[in-house]
Amino acid sequence: MRRNAAVFIPVSIVLVMLTWGCARDTSVTTATGGKTRTVQKQSASIYTGKIVGRSNKAGTISIVVGKGDRARTMMVRFDDRTRGLEHAVKGRAAIITWELRGSEKVATVIKPKLAKLPPGVTEIKPAEVRKLIESGADHVLIDSRPGNRYDQAHLPGAVSIPVDRMKTALKTLPPRKDILLVFYCGGYT
Amino acid sequence: MSPRAAGLAKEAGYTNIKVMLAGVPAWKKKGYPLYASDEFVNRGNIVLIDLRAREKSRRSRIPRSVTIPFSELDDRLDDIPPRAPVVLYSDNAEEAEDAAKKLRKEGIKNVSLVYGDLGRWLESPAASESGPVVTEINWVRKPGRGEVSVADFTRALSGRENAVILDVRTPEECEAGAFPGALHIPLDELPRRTGELPVNKKIYIHCTTGARAEMAYRQLIKDGYRAYFLVADITCDEGACEIDE
Repeated sequence: MRRNAAVFIPVSIVLVMLTWGCARDTSVTTATGGKTRTVQKQSASIYTGKIVGRSNKAGTISIVVGKGDRARTMMVRFDDRTRGLEHAVKGRAAIITWELRGSEKVATVIKPKLAKLPPGVTEIKPAEVRKLIESGADHVLIDSRPGNRYDQAHLPGAVSIPVDRMKTALKTLPPRKDILLVFYCGGYT
Repeated sequence: MSPRAAGLAKEAGYTNIKVMLAGVPAWKKKGYPLYASDEFVNRGNIVLIDLRAREKSRRSRIPRSVTIPFSELDDRLDDIPPRAPVVLYSDNAEEAEDAAKKLRKEGIKNVSLVYGDLGRWLESPAASESGPVVTEINWVRKPGRGEVSVADFTRALSGRENAVILDVRTPEECEAGAFPGALHIPLDELPRRTGELPVNKKIYIHCTTGARAEMAYRQLIKDGYRAYFLVADITCDEGACEIDE
């Protein structure tokens, strides 16, 4: 208990100091501390989408929610009480639960949004893919990312079939239906 | 993307389908090699490095190559722009893979190799280059969507563009120095302070690398501003800041 109190005091001093510096016109909102937070903690909400940025220096995460024309990048803050921060990785899909503190959205829990494989399709690890390529066993390795990503860097022997062209490209695959097809893209997307 | 593609293959009747869910980032992390397409080798905005001995490079090399023999690579690592896509080749596959690992360790994110036999360039006079080797790297970033070029950013600094500079670094970082005339709003405060920005001017955003600037750009675009972000290393010391591509 004693130790906790000793830690708490320096932290609150640091928080107040952080709001000074060269941002002179910053309003100091942290001074009212916990009290304000409990009063204004009204709503919890959820953002699901692709993480497009995370800054540890600023303590913010940017996530794209919605699709197509309705896609919007939302910014939420995080702090040392945010759980699952390791899932806020640029390029990965995540589910962020946040709450409003004052006018700020603060992430409380971040969970990975895992890609679901169609029934009957299994996962293969990079080491196994490498072995497969080196073994020379019959297979087709397919890169589902946009063509420019493939051009820059792809796995040895992979062919490029961006996912939006997959339907029309099916006829270019070997006719033997039991041939091993291995798909990959830019991660858990 | 890949699970969806796998689903389409399954619908088409394929029965033996796997997905490498961890994707390219995990492959890279393992230190496994990646390859560039020939089109990218020929026309991409890349740093193409010939790791073979100078003499071989002088006789025949892939056009636009910079010659850095493998044995000299360590001394030249600092000359390679960290944001450039780098493509390597050698007649010694092991050396090429080792070089790729070295570059990645150095923080160069986009490193790939030329795939397979080099003969399709080196044995064709039309597809190759010869003569005195090139050792100097001349690479200029092509600004991607939403980016401002270093040239335009610099012009804005001297007031020759109808643009304001927005610095989204932390107050602590600004203490080491900032660009004169720049507005300062730390990234985490931006969502509630966008009202302070002009709507009739372009807004050029910077941080120290471009990562936070891009996040700020996305926020401002959503809010209807004419924002652009700078991808470059900004180092400030004793009040002055430097831009390094």
